[in-house]
Amino acid sequence: MDKETRDMLLETAGRFFTERCDRAVVNNVEKGVWPADLWKEIEEMGLPLIAVAEDKGGVGGTLADMLALLRLAGEHAVPVPLAETALSNLLIGAAGGTPKPGPATLALGDLKLSGNRLSGKVARVPFATVVQRFVVVVDRTLVVVPASGARVESTPSHAGEPYGQVSFDNATVEFSGASAVSAERAFELAALMRSMQMAGAGDRILATAAEYSKQRVQFGKPISTFQAIQHMLAELASCVAATIASAEAASRDADEGGLEAGGRFSIAAAKSQCSDFAHRIAAISHQSMGAMGFTHEHILHHYTRRLWVWRRDFGSESFWGEKIGAAYAKAGPDMLWEGLSASRYPT
Amino acid sequence: MSIPKLEFPPFHLPPEAEALRLDVRAFLKDIVPKIKTEDRFASWNTASPEFSRALGKKGWIGITWPKQYGGSEKSFLERYVVTEELLGNGAPAGAHWVADRQSGPLLLRFGSEEQRQAILPRITAGECFFSIGMSEPDSGSDLASVRTRAEPVPGGFRVNGTKVWTSGAHRNHYCITLVRTSGQHGDRHKGLSQLLVDLKTPGVTIRPIINLAGRHDWNEVTFNDAFIPESCLIGNEGDGWLQVTSELAFERSGPERFMQNFYVLRELVRVLGRNPSGRAASILGRLIARLWTLRQMSVAVAGMMQGGKSPAIEAALVKDLGTIYQQDLPEVARVIAESDATTDDDMADFLDIAQYATMMAPSYTIQGGTTQVLRGIVARGLGLR
Ligand SMILES: Cc1cc2nc3c(=O)[nH]c(=O)nc-3n(C[C@H](O)[C@H](O)[C@H](O)COP(=O)(O)OP(=O)(O)OC[C@H]3O[C@@H](n4cnc5c(N)ncnc54)[C@H](O)[C@@H]3O)c2cc1C
Repeated sequence: MDKETRDMLLETAGRFFTERCDRAVVNNVEKGVWPADLWKEIEEMGLPLIAVAEDKGGVGGTLADMLALLRLAGEHAVPVPLAETALSNLLIGAAGGTPKPGPATLALGDLKLSGNRLSGKVARVPFATVVQRFVVVVDRTLVVVPASGARVESTPSHAGEPYGQVSFDNATVEFSGASAVSAERAFELAALMRSMQMAGAGDRILATAAEYSKQRVQFGKPISTFQAIQHMLAELASCVAATIASAEAASRDADEGGLEAGGRFSIAAAKSQCSDFAHRIAAISHQSMGAMGFTHEHILHHYTRRLWVWRRDFGSESFWGEKIGAAYAKAGPDMLWEGLSASRYPT
Repeated sequence: MSIPKLEFPPFHLPPEAEALRLDVRAFLKDIVPKIKTEDRFASWNTASPEFSRALGKKGWIGITWPKQYGGSEKSFLERYVVTEELLGNGAPAGAHWVADRQSGPLLLRFGSEEQRQAILPRITAGECFFSIGMSEPDSGSDLASVRTRAEPVPGGFRVNGTKVWTSGAHRNHYCITLVRTSGQHGDRHKGLSQLLVDLKTPGVTIRPIINLAGRHDWNEVTFNDAFIPESCLIGNEGDGWLQVTSELAFERSGPERFMQNFYVLRELVRVLGRNPSGRAASILGRLIARLWTLRQMSVAVAGMMQGGKSPAIEAALVKDLGTIYQQDLPEVARVIAESDATTDDDMADFLDIAQYATMMAPSYTIQGGTTQVLRGIVARGLGLR
């Protein structure tokens, strides 16, 4: 979609998220209440189909359009699987399928497909207990399994989102097609999606902490006037900046390089970086807000807890760091700058 | 929300810049291996007039300046690529560095035609090197408090005072010197001017100040009734502060803010060998990811500047994060090398290199605006002060 259309869509979505994803909604999801109305409205806006072609009933946006929307969703802690469904639908569309309505998620792991039957187990699947279908890539085949075909054990994430362990035992697939991406690539795209959500969460954390510092008065003045607080928030800004810059650069590279293999190194580097800085972002923002930020009452934890979960989803900094480090070590010191300056794994 | 949003729009260096990269690389491939190993590691701190002349011959100093002054009228983004290639390949770029980044552009912007014609072609030829005379014994972060006095006398100024930490003054030709030309010490930003001081001027004395790594980079430069001709005043009398602040903001976020000790990372790759443990690979990969991120940020800022914006907060953030990265790098690298190096031979060399890098590390977060000064700038940008 052109820039104007994208900006308009983001503005509309932003306003919608502000109105509809308030503290109560996010807290209720943590208590196990599925916000059916919210999901319905999100579907009516077409958001889960943002990166699905128009002839398949989608919005016709690109991967980059989808990722921009997900950064915004991260900024509002949207407590439904918008990211997971949007990416699932993109992959279903690219595999020749037509996405059905309803929330979906990606179950990526060590799975076996024989004929039309899927077997295996995946831990920590986001929104596993509330979705209607699971999207799986095995080798170069994409399959969709209805929720009824899987056994799901609830293992809520530390951010209170309905994650779960999903087992398939000779499950019948409802759709199967030639996947446009490998299983490894699906995992990369999921990591990229999380990086953009983390960028959004970072935006919100910085704004929240900075705003709070201007309101909170101690010793007769706003705490923002204390140099210690100013410097903490400046450091927070630098960590958020790195998160945003790495996620945005990876999104651009993935989009420009094509769905199948674009931005492979950039995605790895961005997820490593975003995960790495989650700790400082959470630590500084909490410190700057004192006890208030540590309460369940305040919204700060909607974002910091998500960062702590998202940094582990689809590869932590250890995972992606090892991939990058192993590739660069193998290529040797003389390839370091060449690879880095071209945003590529060295060859 | 009233907090300004940070933006780092991804930016591609244009094809002509990428083409130039290959030329610079090919040029360095022949030259760099002939440079002594220690000098390669010191890169930005190693002054090699010979190297700078060779680079000047290629037209890669003052690359953005008008042709009439020896420049190549190329874009700021091409300059960016030259800078990062010099750093990435460990070229000894210390001699011309200040003139290329700071002094030349200052003269272009504020200098007289006579000054430009006399100096700029010599800079681009790699034959004329500059120092910065800002800091004084009592003026560091609080630069507006400088005391060096230039008293107007017939035909020029009589200068008295002391500058310190003047990098390279012992080998450079000129020092752009911030002085008080009118008013009183307490007048702060008013009454300051900048002078183009020939370091051979009678009454100018240069004494070494040795840094903790044992290197002689710094000097104390004293002015004792030194006569500086009026033709050496840069811009208008009293505009010194305006000039200095625009100079400092210039290129706060360039590659030299995160690649000065790039060699540590390269040598770490060497000692870890081709097949490191998972733990070592992971730590190496995270260091690479962080450097890649800094580069994306820096390129994004360059793109915004090329687009006519002035991303002051973003630039300060790059410098803050980048200099801290440079400070962390030798530590993280040494620790993982000590547990995971695969060859004893390379390891002995590596520990030397890491030790040297460790000794240089404190300087990164001080020079050109301390971490605290940068954070003050960011806090102001966030609307906190
Ligand atoms: C390697 C190197 C090369 C240099 N080369 C040159 C050169 O060529 N020419 C030149 O003119 N100068 C040069 N400098 C000097 C440099 O510009 C100064 O060191 C720098 O501006 C800081 O001043 P200072 O060292 O006097 O520290 P000070 O300003 O005395 O600072 C001491 C400490 O106090 C903190 N501080 C100061 N003010 C504040 C504040 N308002 N709020 C909070 N904290 C504050 C600082 O952050 C620092 O931690 C060089 C420095 C280094 C390290």
